[in-house]
Amino acid sequence: MQNESLARTPAPRRLVVMALTAALVVGACGGSAGTTTTADRAATAAAPAAVTATAAPIDDCGTRVPPSPPPARAVTLNQGATEVMLALGLQDRMIGTAYLDDRVAPAYAAAYAALPVLAKEYPSREVLLAHRPDFVYASYASAFEADAAGPRGALASLGIRSYVSPFGCAASARPPRVTLAGVFGEITDIGRVFGVPGRAQTLIDGQRAELARSLAPPLPGSGLHVLWWDSETKAPFVGTCCGAPAMMLAAVGARNVFADVAGSWANVSWERAVAADPDVIVLVDATWDTAASKLRYAQASAALRGLRAFREHRVIELPFSDTTPGVRVVTGIGLLADGLRKLAAPAP
Amino acid sequence: MTTARRGPLLFGLALLLLITVTLAVTIGPSDVGARAAYDVVAGHLGIGSGSSPTTDAIVWEIRLPRVLLAGAVGAGLALVGTVLQATMRNPLADPYLLGISAGASFGAVIVFVGIGGAALGLTTGAFGGAMVAFAGVVALAAGRGARLDPARIVLAGVAVASLFDAATSLLIIAAADPDATRGILYWLLGSLAGATWSDLAIAVPLLAVGLGVMLAQARALNAMAIGDDAAAAVGVDVARTRWLLLVTSALLTGALVAVSGAIGFVGLLLPHATRLLVGRDHRLLLPATALAGATFLIWVDTFARTAFDPQEIPVGVATALIGAPAFAYVLVRRMEPR
Repeated sequence: MQNESLARTPAPRRLVVMALTAALVVGACGGSAGTTTTADRAATAAAPAAVTATAAPIDDCGTRVPPSPPPARAVTLNQGATEVMLALGLQDRMIGTAYLDDRVAPAYAAAYAALPVLAKEYPSREVLLAHRPDFVYASYASAFEADAAGPRGALASLGIRSYVSPFGCAASARPPRVTLAGVFGEITDIGRVFGVPGRAQTLIDGQRAELARSLAPPLPGSGLHVLWWDSETKAPFVGTCCGAPAMMLAAVGARNVFADVAGSWANVSWERAVAADPDVIVLVDATWDTAASKLRYAQASAALRGLRAFREHRVIELPFSDTTPGVRVVTGIGLLADGLRKLAAPAP
Repeated sequence: MTTARRGPLLFGLALLLLITVTLAVTIGPSDVGARAAYDVVAGHLGIGSGSSPTTDAIVWEIRLPRVLLAGAVGAGLALVGTVLQATMRNPLADPYLLGISAGASFGAVIVFVGIGGAALGLTTGAFGGAMVAFAGVVALAAGRGARLDPARIVLAGVAVASLFDAATSLLIIAAADPDATRGILYWLLGSLAGATWSDLAIAVPLLAVGLGVMLAQARALNAMAIGDDAAAAVGVDVARTRWLLLVTSALLTGALVAVSGAIGFVGLLLPHATRLLVGRDHRLLLPATALAGATFLIWVDTFARTAFDPQEIPVGVATALIGAPAFAYVLVRRMEPR
């Protein structure tokens, strides 16, 4: 039941949205890391880490995080952070996790199951401190609010370092656009902090190779107008200019119907979506807002069932957690590319 | 209630509050128990050895300031509610009547969505918003004259609060940032999570001054609760007293809301509950509501931070959850003899 109220962001945020504004955003916060520091890091990480490079503090959401010593008692808050750690094989450095959006990727499920879950959502400050962590890694800045882990400065004064995903920084410190460089930059950062830059590079190289396979020319989305329908029905919550959906669509060469709307996601009117008559519609499949429920809504709606994409079933379903910026987004791009290729293939 | 019973009653309530603080600081979601908690407090008071940094942080930086802030906020809100109900002669008056919570929310949301930038802290933003809203209410209510009519204040408060609430919603929608919105909801519902010693440094002095001013006007409040004419007849300068009490209430509420968000129920029903128990003489009612409000909010907040362990719920949710049945009990019990 609780999970059904979860959205792209953790449940309390979803609750807020419903409670306060009825039709607001459900997206993770947009933007991504294209900062110079991130790019520099990505570039230097390929070379064997020089001593000076290792010692330079990491600039994270405007907070300087010393990259050493490697933490031994890390706590991850939010699913994205947990998955980055597990993808780097760092479960032996973790003492707990909290706050899943849905389920961790099957590849990490076993490692995840062996770790204590401190809270279903964010643990309170007292609970967190009682576990004596030396590092707190979260996907969203909200993890460091008073009712959760508490301010990063207060943790630092107890000798507890912290890291927030660049896409989850508070609005003022957030990169303007989600990019793959930003996704990889976060992996590089975590690899540095835990003293495993080699593992981070291997993971990134693997993801780049996977991307190269799924995006082999010709790009499957070339010339296609795509509507990215994330959730909600009355004023659909769609992918807009600068978030992970925009990045994924750009990667496959497609054009986003709502590319001109600011932010990562937004609630828009159906009128424009209908007027655009998109070639393909992406339906995000989340436990709290399934692709099937969106499809049912469209088929029952006189305005929507006439759209070419619904008439000819030119829709692609993508699992929610593969559409958030993190280690799974490359899988999501692969699924999107495969879906587009299938639609392009002549009917048997 | 006779003067003779005043002393013992207030002493009893004060003792209850002391016991409450002593117990509440030993209760928490972590397994730091009574012994460890008292060791930490004793260490800080210089009469014991220290504890581990983690235990110390849990008790001295998290629990104790929070328990004390709950007490200060509970006392302050209950006081303001009592005073406003008397000056407005309105049983539905509460600390947020003056547009303060709406203004504070607006100020806080401005900070949350990053318009004010990092330079403007949350507490400053909320307090500033509260004062702007209060100024608006006063300007509307007073019009060109200096006389403040209770009915006009209530209406002005409703108008200003609606405006600020709408502006708050608009900002939240425009920002479209769920991660920031999550924090806003927590704040709007009222939460004592993250209480610090510096929050106490804001709340406690204002509470002390407010209590002093209000107690000095206790006799005037007794007269005003009957009617402006009656008050004037016994020599109360009604206009001046009402201004003084309104400004004091607004400043105190603004400071409390700035450090804890808009916690509901305490300021509305605690005064009624105490009045049912101790009577209408403000010389007794004011200190009694303050003590009862402090005790009540400490227990409710203890519930809020432990009942859903390991997570927290906003204390504003818990106040009514616990307070409404408690109030119903008082109401029914006191009504029966009639």
